[in-house]
Amino acid sequence: MAVEVILPRVDMDMTVGKIGQWFFDEGASVEKGQPLFEIETDKAAMEIEAPASGVLRGVTVGPGEEVPVGSIVGWIYAPDEAYDETAARSASASAEVAPPAEAARAAASLLEPVGRQDGSAGLRATPMARRLARELSLDLSKVAGSGPLGRVQARDVVAPAAPQSASDNRAALNRLWLARAEGAPLVLIHGFGADLNGWRPMLAHLSGERSVLALDLPGHGKSPLVGAPSLAALIEERVASAHFIGHSLGGAVASALVERRSVAARSLMLLAPAGLGPDINGAFLAGFLRARSEASLAPWVRLLATDEASLGSAMVPTTLRQRADLGVGEAQAQIAAALFPDGAQAFSVRRHLARIAIPAKVVFGLDDQIIPPHHARGLPGMIGVHLFPGVGHMPHFEARSEVARLVAELAAAGD
Amino acid sequence: MNAAVRELSYAQAIQDAMAIAMEADDRVFLMGEDIGVYGGAFGVTGDLVQRFGEERVMDTPISELGGCGVAVGAALTGMRPIFEFQFSDFSSLAMEQIVNQAAKLRYMLGGAVSVPLVLRMPTGSGTGAAAQHSQSLEAWFAHVPGLKVVEPSTPYDAKGLLLAAIADPDPVMIFEHKLLYKMKGPVPEGYYTVALDKAEVRRSGRDLTIVAASIMVHKALEAAEALASEGVEAEVIDLRSLRPLDMATIGASVKKTTRLMCVYEGVKILGVGAEISAAIAESEIFDYLDAPILRLGGADSPIPYSPILEKAAVPQVADIIAMARKLAGGGA
Repeated sequence: MAVEVILPRVDMDMTVGKIGQWFFDEGASVEKGQPLFEIETDKAAMEIEAPASGVLRGVTVGPGEEVPVGSIVGWIYAPDEAYDETAARSASASAEVAPPAEAARAAASLLEPVGRQDGSAGLRATPMARRLARELSLDLSKVAGSGPLGRVQARDVVAPAAPQSASDNRAALNRLWLARAEGAPLVLIHGFGADLNGWRPMLAHLSGERSVLALDLPGHGKSPLVGAPSLAALIEERVASAHFIGHSLGGAVASALVERRSVAARSLMLLAPAGLGPDINGAFLAGFLRARSEASLAPWVRLLATDEASLGSAMVPTTLRQRADLGVGEAQAQIAAALFPDGAQAFSVRRHLARIAIPAKVVFGLDDQIIPPHHARGLPGMIGVHLFPGVGHMPHFEARSEVARLVAELAAAGD
Repeated sequence: MNAAVRELSYAQAIQDAMAIAMEADDRVFLMGEDIGVYGGAFGVTGDLVQRFGEERVMDTPISELGGCGVAVGAALTGMRPIFEFQFSDFSSLAMEQIVNQAAKLRYMLGGAVSVPLVLRMPTGSGTGAAAQHSQSLEAWFAHVPGLKVVEPSTPYDAKGLLLAAIADPDPVMIFEHKLLYKMKGPVPEGYYTVALDKAEVRRSGRDLTIVAASIMVHKALEAAEALASEGVEAEVIDLRSLRPLDMATIGASVKKTTRLMCVYEGVKILGVGAEISAAIAESEIFDYLDAPILRLGGADSPIPYSPILEKAAVPQVADIIAMARKLAGGGA
């Protein structure tokens, strides 16, 4: 059985490590205890010994690359053990998508004999993570662990944007195919207080060459009132890979979900996303949740866009009807209390965005009155930032044709 | 009727409980070494001998086996003796009476008798009294069917648990940490009891559960405050009773926080934390654990005489903080 080579913690404060150099090439024979590779830290370079004797395989982290402590950076196979590189590569169509260590784990999992017991391959996962994975029908071997020695913890399985209290009742989300075509679909995730119908205005501006699957977040539209956002709906729809597009809170959810390995993410488009900084318009949230009539809701909805006409006339009555008919008001109040306590964003997805390797863009309206556009600062350089003057928090309404074009371009880059 | 609440020390609260029980019930009497005119090695019995006389506050010879045997016999005849071991360490001399007689007689005689005996056990380290006067042996007795074992952490609980123990028809051992005797806290006047089988959540938190008892509750609470400033919210459970163990309260907490650590002064291995860890791991709560269960207990060593080593041999606040940080980060 292959032995994983793990990037160890060599310094108390260390959370990531950079490979200095490998002392052996892919396919070389190594003896247990021989120096295998070198870690560079701020303070020193350290040689790391081979954990087993055998053949070095699946080296995915090269010199100069930085990975989290506990990541698998390679494998040592027994000399007579099969290593099918082409199978590994083709199975992992997301090779350029997945962080290297995860790709290595995913590839290796394909080489393992069918029917082996969960956990016998050195898969480290807490009992809770295993339970959640069972409930979500997720393959834990494809989830990157953030715990000690790469142990998979509950937070690696459940989107961190989900309220902790809602960890039960994790039924698949309500979804609707807005368009059907060949290829990886666009998966649309709406923002707080909205539902999947909010994507329809932009839809007309997409060429129709792509499938479009829209989701309702928990506590929104026709999804279960409580629960964590998950990819279960996509799995049920047999979506193997997808382009993720999220607005506001949906952007934060999408940022967390693209790290899941059960559906390969090909690109990520974030429209006025939450999770990038602490500010959010608390008065808007409070007023929006409190409003019980068109007269009290309309002034708050007006804050969403610079040109309120772009929102259409249906948004206010639709929102009120959903609260009355579907009982989403209380659920949304709980979500807001958990995610946006005291008018602050109590979560961050910057950690996720720092790790993604797929094409990604962030769009903000410069006149956004809900989440300030300066939250787009300080993102990784490979994430494109588009700032629209004269546009508020609803770029997919207010600049629908431009956003549709950006979506198409980004998806093409991710295919 | 609302009883007045005063600030009493832990020792005064115990004395208050004994006085109330003796006034209310002629069958209640005290036995122990130097508990009469001297007032007890830690001053707990104080002037009770002046109030109730030498027949009800009896100094015993330096023979724990003999004294404890008399107490067991008196309990069998229907009396309600409270026997004080000067140091709980000396209970080793009375093992036969505690383990083979007091704990077993109801069972051996088919329920025809019971042994309504209370054993008071001054316990723990921190007084510079060295290896034979500083141990935490409560887990020994919690292993014996037929005994109840409680460990009050506050003056309020010390009085309420003692009055509940006196009222209980079977033998109850109360482990009183010597460093708590001077601790003050609110204690109502008059009679009240604290259940002998219920843990108490002393601090609510979402990130991890710290289970502790006796003096470790206070150390855990202090650690939890420091952890809160780092954004780690620890829930602190005061066990109060080791036998029976209130696993329902612990389980509900772990289900919420998904992380558990046990802190106790007794020797870590084969101790209270081992039982709690195993009980959680065996239960349906297992599927809610998001990190290994951790234990922080006393060193595998006799308690040293050197004050520095004595401190190092038992968990301190800094140790709890360090382990909780580790647990919050995913554990071992």
